[in-house]
Amino acid sequence: MSNKKSKQNDEDLIICRCEEITKKEILQAIADGARDLRGVRIRTRAGMGLCQGRSCERLVRKIISEELKIDLNILPSATRRPPVRPLELQLFGRDDDGIKE
Amino acid sequence: MALKSNLDVAVVGGGVIGASCAYYLAKAGMKVGLFEKGDIASGSSGGCDGNIMAQDHQPGYDTNLTIISNKMYKELLKELDWDIEYSEKGSILVIETEDELKFMKDRMKEQLACGLPVRFVDKDELYEQEPLLAPGFLGAIECASDAACMPIQVAIALVRRARSFGAEIHTFEEVKNIELDKKGKVSGIETIQGKISVPRVINCCGAWAPFLGKMVGLNIPIEPRRGQLVVVEQVAQVGHRKISEAHYIVAKFHPELTEGTDSDMIKYGVAFVFEPTASGNMLLGSCREFAGYDTRTTLPAIRAIIKRAIHFIPSLKYLHCIRTYAGLRPYTPDHLSIVSQVDEVPGFYIAAGAEGDGIGIAPITGLLMSQIVLGQKTTIDVDPLRWSRFTQG
Repeated sequence: MSNKKSKQNDEDLIICRCEEITKKEILQAIADGARDLRGVRIRTRAGMGLCQGRSCERLVRKIISEELKIDLNILPSATRRPPVRPLELQLFGRDDDGIKE
Repeated sequence: MALKSNLDVAVVGGGVIGASCAYYLAKAGMKVGLFEKGDIASGSSGGCDGNIMAQDHQPGYDTNLTIISNKMYKELLKELDWDIEYSEKGSILVIETEDELKFMKDRMKEQLACGLPVRFVDKDELYEQEPLLAPGFLGAIECASDAACMPIQVAIALVRRARSFGAEIHTFEEVKNIELDKKGKVSGIETIQGKISVPRVINCCGAWAPFLGKMVGLNIPIEPRRGQLVVVEQVAQVGHRKISEAHYIVAKFHPELTEGTDSDMIKYGVAFVFEPTASGNMLLGSCREFAGYDTRTTLPAIRAIIKRAIHFIPSLKYLHCIRTYAGLRPYTPDHLSIVSQVDEVPGFYIAAGAEGDGIGIAPITGLLMSQIVLGQKTTIDVDPLRWSRFTQG
């Protein structure tokens, strides 16, 4: 019984804090056909918030790897898209802003 | 030897168009198999914004398609039982110059004749509604029926419902070949898993439709046209509905009126689009460029998009960009999609080529395709969408 209880609590854990996505929602996404980080992201929004998966990516990878028995090393990373951290829009408007690709 | 299957039709492509075709065909009682090389909505439907917008279309057939499709979205909300983040908040096209004003007011008469609920919003009302707009604009055209949705959820919801009607969903299963019988009729497909017999194939591969076309000897004149977008952090809403610029409509139909425009805007096909999403983020667009199948975002185009956005809504400059992304719009030479049988290859059908309108017209496209396959009378004349317009002079 104590095991069941801890599992229950485990599923309520918030994995993606920006979008408040729980482990249960991530497991549901995998059951619905998600096979990678992108699949989880589009089904749950995990990793779509302000930090863009910087804190939850490792946890989500681990859950996918465990659920689908895929070696962590071969599980693809999330698509990297600029910017690497949130940038004020006005920085893009100048030509001498030093922003490089 | 092809594996025997009881499939009536193979839908190839798991974006909104393939999902819609699968849904309407399965609902009509056909045994559908949907085959997608990646995940659901992993191509253009996962790299776009969620427009169900009629006011940026040519008044006439093109506008009618979206009007019908938008009505269908409202029915789908009940049928799909899934949150597709649909909202009908309307959209406005902001007018900056006297030339644009005249052009847009004339155009409005044609739009009204199509039954589109458009009206002119004068300067005072515009600033009352959108106080964050930069000063100096002359007014706007408002279309009350324009709507927005979350394309990925639309595809997921349609696929789920298609499955409940008996459709088989084969994601991560790329189609490698299409088999024809001695008479040149479709007899099966070959996926990475093996051969499957099936008498009909529907090409819903969007920008990738030409690759599937080649498998049956067709040259489909669809080209990938890249659109890049900027995601802005979640803040209390800066605007509550879609705002874009009249300039873009004018530039499309009267390029001579746009002389003196920023050269980067022309180079990357930039037009201001501001879209608040259900999540509280805002999307900034847009651009249209031919860059092959490269889905990366590029700094010059992103810069041009952001500069244009700040020109319209200056306070955006203090907000943060959290991500950029891009997708490939399936462009056709006449800007209309192909929703058609292919007479020279019996059993082969095409539903692709909606460029930036695929989300808006996904429901009507799926319904029309199911009617074409079943030989039923179509909801709207499909002659303008026929494949043969590209094969006959």
